[in-house]
Amino acid sequence: MTSSSRDSVLLPPRGGGYRVFTVVVAVWMTTVLCFGVLGKISNLPILEHTARNLYFHVPMWFTLMLGWFVAAYHSLRLLMTRRRIHDVRAEQAALVATVFGVLGITTGIVWSRFTWYTGTDIWWNGDPRQVMVAVQLLICGAYFVLRGALDDERLRARLAAAYALFATMTMPFLTYVLPRRMESLHPGAEGNPAFSQMDIAPEMRWVFYASALGFLMLGWWIYTLRVRVRAAEIAVNERTTWP
Amino acid sequence: MQSDLDTLSTLRDTTIALLDPSAAEAIPQGVERLMLASDKLPVVLAVVLIIWFGLLFLLFRTDRRITKIERELNATDSD
Repeated sequence: MTSSSRDSVLLPPRGGGYRVFTVVVAVWMTTVLCFGVLGKISNLPILEHTARNLYFHVPMWFTLMLGWFVAAYHSLRLLMTRRRIHDVRAEQAALVATVFGVLGITTGIVWSRFTWYTGTDIWWNGDPRQVMVAVQLLICGAYFVLRGALDDERLRARLAAAYALFATMTMPFLTYVLPRRMESLHPGAEGNPAFSQMDIAPEMRWVFYASALGFLMLGWWIYTLRVRVRAAEIAVNERTTWP
Repeated sequence: MQSDLDTLSTLRDTTIALLDPSAAEAIPQGVERLMLASDKLPVVLAVVLIIWFGLLFLLFRTDRRITKIERELNATDSD
């Protein structure tokens, strides 16, 4: 295999629009952080100030889902076109998404331990959503184990793509459909609306939407950054291997 | 002065424990004393810090990759 017959992964340099996007994300997230900490909240008993964690804990899961949907899209594209850039994109989207998922479960553990389980030693409370999301994160983690186990680049790209499609397919069920049917600490359990008028102040709604969008944009920025670095890394490796 | 306060709070905790054992469990101890202060605001800080450390982790990893690319570029340039 010579380098000329391989499709290039090198990306064109990013233009001014991308730089504007990064500045927007930076300003946006700073604003969200300020409003998140200082803004008005419902101030319910037990929950108290921890209601603010809505702005930081929940968007982690949105980013996990968006990231894996991006990974699934590029995996599908890889299987259809066999272009290597899709493998690079799928891997980085999956990685960023999984890191956000781990942050989601860690923040959830800390939140519940010091809010609903004070005075106990319960860090892992066996909440159905927590358990199922842990299973989902193991499914996501196996993607990287699979990638690490295969040396052949083409085989790895195809098998990882097929597995990524499976991992993304289980996600809506394990994180959304099944936990909503059981008793849980989370709102929206047992068929309740996830966002009732009763327990959320109207001011909180806007900070929450802004925060969710902000974290999605931040995740996108990190994802594109990592894709560019990985593509450059492959290009440099090939330049040194096939001069 | 500090030890006087400690003695006082121990005395208070013991009194509560004697009068109402179930209320004694509600007195926060150790890490909880810190986390439950000022209406549980430190819990929010803990959550934000966890996310910040996660982002730092990604930043460090990406940084290391760029260093590796630069090193390889420098090595091929000097050939």
